[in-house]
Amino acid sequence: MPGGRVCAACGCSEIEVDAARGDAVCTGCGSVLEDNIIVSEVQFVENSAGKTPTLGGGFHANLGKESRAQTLQNGKRQIHHLGNQLQLNQHCLDTAFNFFKMAVSKHLTRGRKMTHVIAACLYLVCRTEGTPHMLLDLSDLLQVNVYVLGKTFLLLARELCINAPAIDPCLYIPRFAHMLEFGDKNHEVSMTALRLLQRMKRDWMHTGRRPSGLCGAALLVAARMHDFRRTVKEVIRVVKVCESTLRKRLTEFEDTPTSQLTIDEFMKIDLEEECDPPSFTAGQKKLKIQQLEKALSKKLEDFEGEITSYQDEIEIELENSRPKAKGVFANFTKDDCIEDNTSSLLGEEEAEDEELEAAANHLNKDFYNELHEKDSVKKGEGGECKNGNEAFVRPPALESLLGPLPTAASLGITESIKECISTKDREPGENTGDGELDLSGIDDNEIDRYILNETEAQIKAELWMKENADYLKEQKEKEARIAKEKELGIYKEHKPKKSAKKREPIQASTAGEAIEKMLEQKKISSKINYNVLRDLNSKGSSTPKKEDDSTDDSTNTKKLSRRKSIANRNIANPVNSVGKRLRPLISTQLAKKAATEEVTFQNAQAEAPDIEKPAAVVVESGPVAYNPDEEVEEEEIEDDDDHCMSALQLMGGNGKLGCCLNY
Amino acid sequence: MEADSDVALDILITNVVCVFRTRCHLNLRKIALEGANVIYKRDVGKVLMKLRKPRITATIWSSGKVICTGATSEEEAKFGARRLARSLQKLGFQVIFTDFKVVNVLAVCNMPFEIRLPEFTKNNRPHASYEPELHPAVCYRIKTLRATLQIFSTGSITVTGPNVKAVASAVEQIYPFVFESRK
Repeated sequence: MPGGRVCAACGCSEIEVDAARGDAVCTGCGSVLEDNIIVSEVQFVENSAGKTPTLGGGFHANLGKESRAQTLQNGKRQIHHLGNQLQLNQHCLDTAFNFFKMAVSKHLTRGRKMTHVIAACLYLVCRTEGTPHMLLDLSDLLQVNVYVLGKTFLLLARELCINAPAIDPCLYIPRFAHMLEFGDKNHEVSMTALRLLQRMKRDWMHTGRRPSGLCGAALLVAARMHDFRRTVKEVIRVVKVCESTLRKRLTEFEDTPTSQLTIDEFMKIDLEEECDPPSFTAGQKKLKIQQLEKALSKKLEDFEGEITSYQDEIEIELENSRPKAKGVFANFTKDDCIEDNTSSLLGEEEAEDEELEAAANHLNKDFYNELHEKDSVKKGEGGECKNGNEAFVRPPALESLLGPLPTAASLGITESIKECISTKDREPGENTGDGELDLSGIDDNEIDRYILNETEAQIKAELWMKENADYLKEQKEKEARIAKEKELGIYKEHKPKKSAKKREPIQASTAGEAIEKMLEQKKISSKINYNVLRDLNSKGSSTPKKEDDSTDDSTNTKKLSRRKSIANRNIANPVNSVGKRLRPLISTQLAKKAATEEVTFQNAQAEAPDIEKPAAVVVESGPVAYNPDEEVEEEEIEDDDDHCMSALQLMGGNGKLGCCLNY
Repeated sequence: MEADSDVALDILITNVVCVFRTRCHLNLRKIALEGANVIYKRDVGKVLMKLRKPRITATIWSSGKVICTGATSEEEAKFGARRLARSLQKLGFQVIFTDFKVVNVLAVCNMPFEIRLPEFTKNNRPHASYEPELHPAVCYRIKTLRATLQIFSTGSITVTGPNVKAVASAVEQIYPFVFESRK
């Protein structure tokens, strides 16, 4: 009730709040001051499943319970919340909760957002039940990347060894059809779409594709077949795929022979042949194109070969038609030019044999042609002596011609052969593994090129500075900030949190003092039955008990006394571990536990002296046994028996039952 | 194996990732300034150096750890790593080439037939996982080899494993299964 509120319009202070409508209305002028008032009352609503869950209640459930129980309860709440949004029935939600419990027991929730794990559990249920929910729906609800959810889901399925059956796009059709609002013909359109989908499956369009995309295409076609005008955009909004995806599916379907049938034919006939998947045909096309290109290039090469041969012939002709030197000098010039050619050959680093041969052939041809031409030319001039000279000169010229060529070749080859041999020798030496850097095969020159000289380094430094200016600014600001804080003395170093708190060692003369001090330091645990401790203590030693009694409220005293008695027994051990280390060491003693309080009490009492005698081991059988009333005891029940734990929780925590089941 | 010998499957290695250590602290700033083919990412604290001859990209941390990616064979990876170490040496650091290890090999293989993925997943339940909503391929994990294969419906398979041998044996292992579910 808004006390002292005044209407903004008329200034009247009489404001009526209607809880049912959630309005706050001014009675004077009638203006609405508030609507949708949030109240914290507990209300009941009827569910579509016929149940009446409470709204606004259930806030008190998480107080004072152990972490595991809290996690499970939290998870349950979230599952129900999400599940209701997805309209899942109760059975599904329970199954999801079971999955969640399994996940928690396998520690799969560690390092993952709880919401992700819950979404994964829900989706797993959807898959196993075959409900038409997509992972996309879940990610929509949570506003989380669908691939992140998918990753969690896959992990969960793998760890829990649950095989989720593959998604059938047919499952989605009724849902999408409903959303597209076909009215009376809904069923018919769905059936047509189903047939289309089956056809698509046979035509290999569905492997590796999102089922929603296929559904969209099928529904679109089915709608058109039944004279419903559904545009691509409408379908997209329902099906949640991209426009281009839908178009692509449609074109793929167009390529199949089924698309050629008329509507009636399609409904009656089923074509026998199956098609290849579209990506496969695309791949085949690529292959074909590649092959064609290869063939073409081969042909080109042949043509080129021909062209070069023509070129050579033309060049020969041209040379022959050039004016030549006469007489003895002619040979010298020719020799020079030949030697030039050979030297150029030598100069080539990688003189391939073929090239050498071809060049040699050409040169030979030229030489011979020239010789022949010369002969023919000079015959005309006469001069046998010249001819004779030439004749004499010819063989040596030939030799000179042939001589350098082979040697050039041989020279070139031997070098490369040497290299090959030497590299082979080096290779086995590489695997020394000494840690020494093996320099073989590393071209130092090339590596030197990788290192910049000064000017280049400067330029680069400038460029880098400009690019990363923002980051550098941030760093400077941060440093400045830290410097300031240091000056002011409020510098907080944000170190990563240390999990264990380091405390000063307690110095006390007696055990009792030590316990007191420890208790002061440490926070009181809710896991211990202090009553029992106190009583036990009375049997053991009197002093701690007296000190206890003088302290605070009832609950606190109980806890304190409990603590102290525990500490009494195991002074050596740190009491921090009280809660967690309880069970493993208690098994033998707990086995003897009876159901009733008193009996257990007595047992523990009997055991107390026994326990004290052996080692100072953690002994908390006492507290666990004594007060079944304490909800506390449920917490001790941990990972082993999930089933039992859940039963416990559902039944609202009957300690006895839980304990018995557990041990 | 008989099926394998009938068809000569070409396994193309597309990427080899390796790591090595230089056992000495590296001054990233100096490398960044004096290297010609270097990208300095100061915000994450690493330097990317790219070599041309074996086409390799190396990520260098100041602790001396270096990761080399982009090689097409194990030998090439080692060669590239050594070159890299040599160039670091030239820059003036006391580099020792130790702990060279090939960490990951990525290879691609093509089957001459298409594969029915839903059928394949059903037959190979625990190892294969298929989520068409997420990825168009089936993800098949071989725990013994620590290899993962991605099998597409067109018949092309992408394999990743710790070394080339594992990759090859993974392909051999998967061939009969894939052959069963072929189109």
